[in-house]
Amino acid sequence: MKPPAFEYVAAESVEEATARLAEYGDDARPIAGGQSLVPMMNFRLVSPAVLVDIRRIAPPDAIGEADGHVRIGALTRHRALETSPLIRDRFPVLAAAMTHVAHLAIRNRGTIGGSLCHADPAAELPAMAVLLDARIHVARRNGERIVEAGAFFEGALWTALEDGEIVTRIDFPLLPPGTGWGFREFARRHGDFALAGAAATVTGSAGRAAEVRIALFGVGETPVRAAAAEALLTGTGFEPDAVAAAIDALRNAVDPDDDLHASADYRRHLAGILAGRALGDAWARAGGGAA
Amino acid sequence: MSAGAPAGAAGTARPGIVGARVQRREDPRLLTGRGSYTDDRKAAGAVHVAFCRSDRAHARIAGIDAAQARQAPGVLGVFTAEDIAAVARPIRATSNMPDYRATEFAPLARGKVRHVGEPVAAVVAGDRYLAEDAAALVAVDYDPLPDITDPEEALADRVLLHEDAGTNLIAAREFARGDVDGAMTGAALVVEDRFRIRRKTPAAIENRCYLAEYDAGRQALTLHGSTQVPGLLRDALAEIFDLPGHRLRVVAPDVGGGFGAKASLYPEEVVVCALAMRLGRPVKWTGDRMEDLTATSQAFDEIVRAKLALDADGRMVGLEADVIGDIGAYSIYPWTASLEPVQVVSFLPGPYRIAAYRGRVRAVATSKTPTGPYRGVGRPVSTFVMERLVDMAARRLALDPAEIRARNLVRDEEFPYKAGSGIVWDRAGFQDCLRMALDRFGYAERRAEQAAARGDGRSVGIGIASYAELTGIGSRISAAPGMPINTGTERATIEIDSTGAVTAAFGIASHGQGLETTLAQIVAEELGVRVEDVDIVHGDSAAVAHSTGTYASRSIVLAGGAATLSARSLREQVVKAASHILEAAETDIEMRDGVVSVAGTDASITLRELARAFYTEMRRIPKEARESLDLSASATYDPFFGTTTAATHIAEVEIDPQTFGVAVRRYVVAEDCGRVVNPMIVDGQVHGGVAQGIGAALLEEVVHDDSGQILTGSFVDYVVPSAAEIPDIEAVHLDTESPSTLGGYRGMGEGGTIGAPAAVANAVADALSGLDIQINELPVTPERLFRLIRNTEGNEGEPRHGF
Repeated sequence: MKPPAFEYVAAESVEEATARLAEYGDDARPIAGGQSLVPMMNFRLVSPAVLVDIRRIAPPDAIGEADGHVRIGALTRHRALETSPLIRDRFPVLAAAMTHVAHLAIRNRGTIGGSLCHADPAAELPAMAVLLDARIHVARRNGERIVEAGAFFEGALWTALEDGEIVTRIDFPLLPPGTGWGFREFARRHGDFALAGAAATVTGSAGRAAEVRIALFGVGETPVRAAAAEALLTGTGFEPDAVAAAIDALRNAVDPDDDLHASADYRRHLAGILAGRALGDAWARAGGGAA
Repeated sequence: MSAGAPAGAAGTARPGIVGARVQRREDPRLLTGRGSYTDDRKAAGAVHVAFCRSDRAHARIAGIDAAQARQAPGVLGVFTAEDIAAVARPIRATSNMPDYRATEFAPLARGKVRHVGEPVAAVVAGDRYLAEDAAALVAVDYDPLPDITDPEEALADRVLLHEDAGTNLIAAREFARGDVDGAMTGAALVVEDRFRIRRKTPAAIENRCYLAEYDAGRQALTLHGSTQVPGLLRDALAEIFDLPGHRLRVVAPDVGGGFGAKASLYPEEVVVCALAMRLGRPVKWTGDRMEDLTATSQAFDEIVRAKLALDADGRMVGLEADVIGDIGAYSIYPWTASLEPVQVVSFLPGPYRIAAYRGRVRAVATSKTPTGPYRGVGRPVSTFVMERLVDMAARRLALDPAEIRARNLVRDEEFPYKAGSGIVWDRAGFQDCLRMALDRFGYAERRAEQAAARGDGRSVGIGIASYAELTGIGSRISAAPGMPINTGTERATIEIDSTGAVTAAFGIASHGQGLETTLAQIVAEELGVRVEDVDIVHGDSAAVAHSTGTYASRSIVLAGGAATLSARSLREQVVKAASHILEAAETDIEMRDGVVSVAGTDASITLRELARAFYTEMRRIPKEARESLDLSASATYDPFFGTTTAATHIAEVEIDPQTFGVAVRRYVVAEDCGRVVNPMIVDGQVHGGVAQGIGAALLEEVVHDDSGQILTGSFVDYVVPSAAEIPDIEAVHLDTESPSTLGGYRGMGEGGTIGAPAAVANAVADALSGLDIQINELPVTPERLFRLIRNTEGNEGEPRHGF
């Protein structure tokens, strides 16, 4: 479990990083926190010839609010997101989700840009990006683009990033006032990747759910929004029948795989249970739609 | 941790250094990063090995092309089976057990590979990185052979793993006593099931690591290694390389856990020794976690069909079992492949009074990693099976699980009691442990709380497990069936040097047990010095003439016994010397806290002064007296049969009725481990053992696919419990002396792992008692619960919410 030899270059700026990545092409990988890449290199699952270290690119941990969004620098560590007063105030669901990411030592090093780009289907942050309609800022040599979270995740460990591109910033559009949230996942051990997970937001209005969002993770190639279930619940008062219909719809919509830790059937079952709990939490936090 | 005093302060408190909560003397070193493990050892000019390991479960080796690897940067050589065979005799774990077939275990695969992870070639390079690069270039041409992964299919011998054995059935044995058939037909109730416990790996925190150094001038070989058994290895390597013991030394420096997996001879140990001699350079191999999870011995892989017969009052009248042990590819040295499965049938009757027993065991070779000793050996499985049967019977008879155990546990007046498998239990607190565990747990109140919780729709379960084990086994019994080496004695040498310092040398090898503290307590108490006056030398084959090491819950009984004998003998010498120096009668000499004095006077000298007088001030003791005295004593202790250790565990679990997540909420252990040397260390051993047992019950499983590939090759997939999954564990001790051992000690290092799988399994079954399901397979994962529960609901769609 030692990686083969590789070259290491440290970039000081986005321009330098993208230039280096363009120069080395396929042979290069950017490295930030290294919490997923380095183990994969040690297992020799990936063997980049060049590592382009982007950690020195300033500002490393910017979290700020502007233009109706919370903007987060891609090099922000999970732990910074977990403990940020701004995140706790504006996106408590995000702060809560971060407590489930592995262990403290890993959260202290892992970056949110790295987690998005690694795109593990069971990871929390990609699911948060999908739930909260994040806009992912991507830089390449001589250019920049914005990818909606819903279009960013293309498969397991596979994203819309092209060779030579890096993520620089993630923007989360603010939620309307009166939005409740829920986050539930089930893992075999504290800190493990979830066998399945669900997050929800509900914006209440006069006893009704004006807007419902549900994101599921660990139950397919990518985190997904449960669009049919969202539609079934929008406008309801979360009556038991309405919730049950939404859970059925959501279970029918996911397509999990069997693996060592859980069968597809069990994951589908869990997705329904966890979504039901997350929706219940969100509805309660939204004051039962009272706002 | 209530005794916050440093070792010395607690150690000087009299009476009773033995029995005091002395803090572990090794911990300041180990906890501040100042330990010295094998991989920490730097040898000038050392080269590093990476193994090219089989990626096939079963294949013939048609050829090995190492040309490209030999040309790789930094490579000193690539070595295969023939290179090792040229200098090392083959390894064969023998046994005089009937129906055992010894098979060869080649350090590097010869002709065939028989499991994924088996070493095929050794690549030596300047560092591990280069060695791994080159190992990837070794091209092995395999002719695939059919895999042998299912142990029951393997019994049909359609494909043979070891052709020279002529069968995959490597060992078979049957124990029988009494009229089992009569008991079964005449019984009021017979409960039976097929039980499956899945393969585990011990997963010590330190991966295996070996460093061999050959001194060509002295023709002497030294192996530093992460091992529990330096003396045993020294003796084995002496045979393999045909060297006398004084030119072969095996040292276990600090070792980061073993749990039995470092108690056997490994191919990598032979390879580094052979290559150090061949290359004239120190040769090091540091295993990584993937190698640990594929090439360190595994355990607990059994299928057990068992039935228990009882009369109408719930008294056990007969027991029958058929055990199939999946032993993996090789019969590990020296224990043999029979160790684990034979222990399952030997210990299946447990601590109960059962007149009729028949147990049959078959050990079957499969194309998987070899199995070997793992904390508890056989008894975690036998206890799981027996304790499940007991609870199944209690339910059918509408008896409380505590009551049925009280009716059947061997009672105090019945000891010594000979169990159906021939094991003799000496007096131990079987009934007392049950009572103490129930008291500490608050059994009646907890049952009331459980009933209330059920009323609220919660699934709470309480599980009891009682067991007995043999520990501190002496020379009359072999630690493994029919094994031709002596594991029944240990030796100690205690010396007072010319500075008055006391050094006690042992062949045991502490690798987490705190033996540097507990053995020092025993020596200090017996000799009359303070704990901090005593240094413990261990883990070095050169320390004593013969030793095997630390395994099988033996060290405090055997090494403690040897320490007691030699300390007593040394004390006599000190008293004789002091009588000359202090000019007093021997009967008036006292020694306490390292000070020698004359009773009823203020005449006294320190041990340092006594040593100076004895060794340096030549006129203080007459020459004739000096020549008959020696401030050094050696003794060997043999407990002959060994002694019984017993316990009752009680676990309380709560199961999420929708996700099927199982949380262990409470855990109580009451045990009789004889005279307690250090309650803090005993508690720590119980906590660690229970944690491992909870892992076996709920989480841990080595998984192979149909082609014999290991799917659990990292800690992402081989799931061991972390602190978050382990509840507070309460341990209570029945502090009485064993009648069978010197000092009254009993071994207790394995018990936690023996009781916990059964207690947790019974608690899970109890929590789900409203459903028509059987908990007969471990680990009982959420996935397995999901399938069990769904199947009871007609195999259609979602399980109903709630039970």
